Amino acid sequence: MAPVEVEFGPVQTPNEAKFVSSIGLPFLQAAQNEDGGWGFRAGSQSRIEATSWALLTLRGRDSTTEIQQLGFRFLRAMQLPDGSWPSAVAQNVGCWATSLAAWALLADPESRTAVAAALRWICVDWPRGSSFITRMIRKIAATSQVTSQNHSLRGWGWTPHTASWVEPTAFALIALDQAPKDLLPSNANSRGELARALIFDRMCPGGGWNCGNPMVYGVPGDPLVEPTVWALLALRDEPNRRESLMSLEWLEKNVTAGLGPGSLALARICLETYGRAWPEIAPQLGDQYETSQFLESVPVMAWTCLALSPREGWLDAGAEGRADAVR
Amino acid sequence: MQSAETVLLPPFQRPPSQVAIRRVASYEQDLFDVIYETLCEFSSGNRNGSKFQSINGKCVLLKPNFVGFDPLGAMNTHPAVVAAARESFLKLGAAQVLIGEGPALDRDTEAIVESVKLREYAGPLQRMFVDLNVDDVERVPLKTRASRLKELYLPKTVLGADFIVSMPKLKTHHWAGVTLSLKNMFGIVPGGCYGWPKNVLHWAGIDNSILDINAAVRPDFAIVDGINGMEGNGPIQGTPKRANVLVFGNDPVAVDATCCRIMGLLPEKVKYLAGAGTLLGHVNAEKIEQLGESIASVRTPFAVLKEFHKLREPGREKWN
Repeated sequence: MAPVEVEFGPVQTPNEAKFVSSIGLPFLQAAQNEDGGWGFRAGSQSRIEATSWALLTLRGRDSTTEIQQLGFRFLRAMQLPDGSWPSAVAQNVGCWATSLAAWALLADPESRTAVAAALRWICVDWPRGSSFITRMIRKIAATSQVTSQNHSLRGWGWTPHTASWVEPTAFALIALDQAPKDLLPSNANSRGELARALIFDRMCPGGGWNCGNPMVYGVPGDPLVEPTVWALLALRDEPNRRESLMSLEWLEKNVTAGLGPGSLALARICLETYGRAWPEIAPQLGDQYETSQFLESVPVMAWTCLALSPREGWLDAGAEGRADAVR
Repeated sequence: MQSAETVLLPPFQRPPSQVAIRRVASYEQDLFDVIYETLCEFSSGNRNGSKFQSINGKCVLLKPNFVGFDPLGAMNTHPAVVAAARESFLKLGAAQVLIGEGPALDRDTEAIVESVKLREYAGPLQRMFVDLNVDDVERVPLKTRASRLKELYLPKTVLGADFIVSMPKLKTHHWAGVTLSLKNMFGIVPGGCYGWPKNVLHWAGIDNSILDINAAVRPDFAIVDGINGMEGNGPIQGTPKRANVLVFGNDPVAVDATCCRIMGLLPEKVKYLAGAGTLLGHVNAEKIEQLGESIASVRTPFAVLKEFHKLREPGREKWN
């Protein structure tokens, strides 16, 4: 795979910088729980996914080093013996949040062992939806005509032993792509290729992705912004492929209205990563904060801070490690 | 949380259920009057098993069906219905009426809620709307073993509510046949634990998961928005179909069975409803006391996909 050239976000405008420094980062700092994790809302139970997004946003911000260390410690403490992470603290089964936690912990040198265990879990976690037996059953069952997709392709599910879906597959691809080569299991490349093919296969007919059902009963599914963003970010080293171009075009057309702040922030990150301009008529994230305070959502605030900040190193943490490994 | 004794009863031990059908011309009509008067009827009648008598000072959770962007107004519970129900329960003495939903496919709940214009109808969302997908969760061992789920992590807002109202849209469904107040409870299963979609429920079997979820958290009341519903390839890609009704009841199974009959479908043939009829409520029309309009007077046959032609009432084949 060719090295990825990541486009960084544009220079912040004064208003954007002010939003991040006076609202976004203070919100994230105040929302950290005593155990070092973050909940989906301030004051709620610490969760792996919310903690990962907060840490990915705070990465590289020197003023938050202590906060980040607490967060890293929380994640390491919550890792299950098999290397995975559950979505909620009390659960004892791993899930898609494993990819996010591994990605977040890449910034912490003390977490190399934890990351390696997570990557091993990711690479042995096969969805059951595309197993040989399930494919045979589907072939003879009435439901074989319901969806039109290549069931031999395999990515990752939200939960183990279910089916492949676009977002968890994209998260796992990003985690594998960002990790230093020396931490990757031997089948990481082959899993990655299969998963990339799955994402391309699941694209909606007009470009963009939904959760992973491009056609049901012969009717095209409608794409959604968040799966489209994560799919494009996972596939960002193929920017000129037809599917990528169609999906970018779909995304550009659909960022102008009717999106929540989380989707808007992610769309902006994605378009800028691909070197596209943020449409002038796109709604301003700060205005939306006035209306709803983002429903106090930690992930939405984290994505907003990322969208409004230069993102040097955000989606490229493993590049140096990979280069080192190659050397 | 409800005890298993009150939720799980075979039909012969369960008292008759009450279902009220109200004809409503449009969402512009004064829905508060319709809903409040109907709730008062249930409340004053102190109907069998109803918790209305103790609603004063309690926390009510309204669980609408908000799926996604809905330009035709056929996919989501209309916000006018939700807002009128909220106002009605407050007037009945509820201390707090929350609105909670966990959309199954789209993580952008704020956008969905804004697109259905909930804020315009019900006021500011903060402190009133709960995104059940990302709420705090608690482990709930399931009371039944219809599926192989055994346990679920469910939102604390749901588990802490004193009175739960399922508020679905009147729709046919491409996997389950129909989606009404029981299927609507899929929305309490948090995406933050199980993903978007909540695929673990599909692997455990949609019909059986519906039963286990409703046995764990049985809605105390149901209000179905059938003013403008959806037929055919629902719950998302079907065709709008007006039935011009709101359907109310203190037994979600009986409400769903009545809705099926309004749609010209046989509830006994809907797999999960047949199962629900053995322990969760009444499917048998003889055990359902019908209030308001008669089923016959509002019957509006809905088209179903060919996989579900077996659900149609005899002689209704021509409608598909």
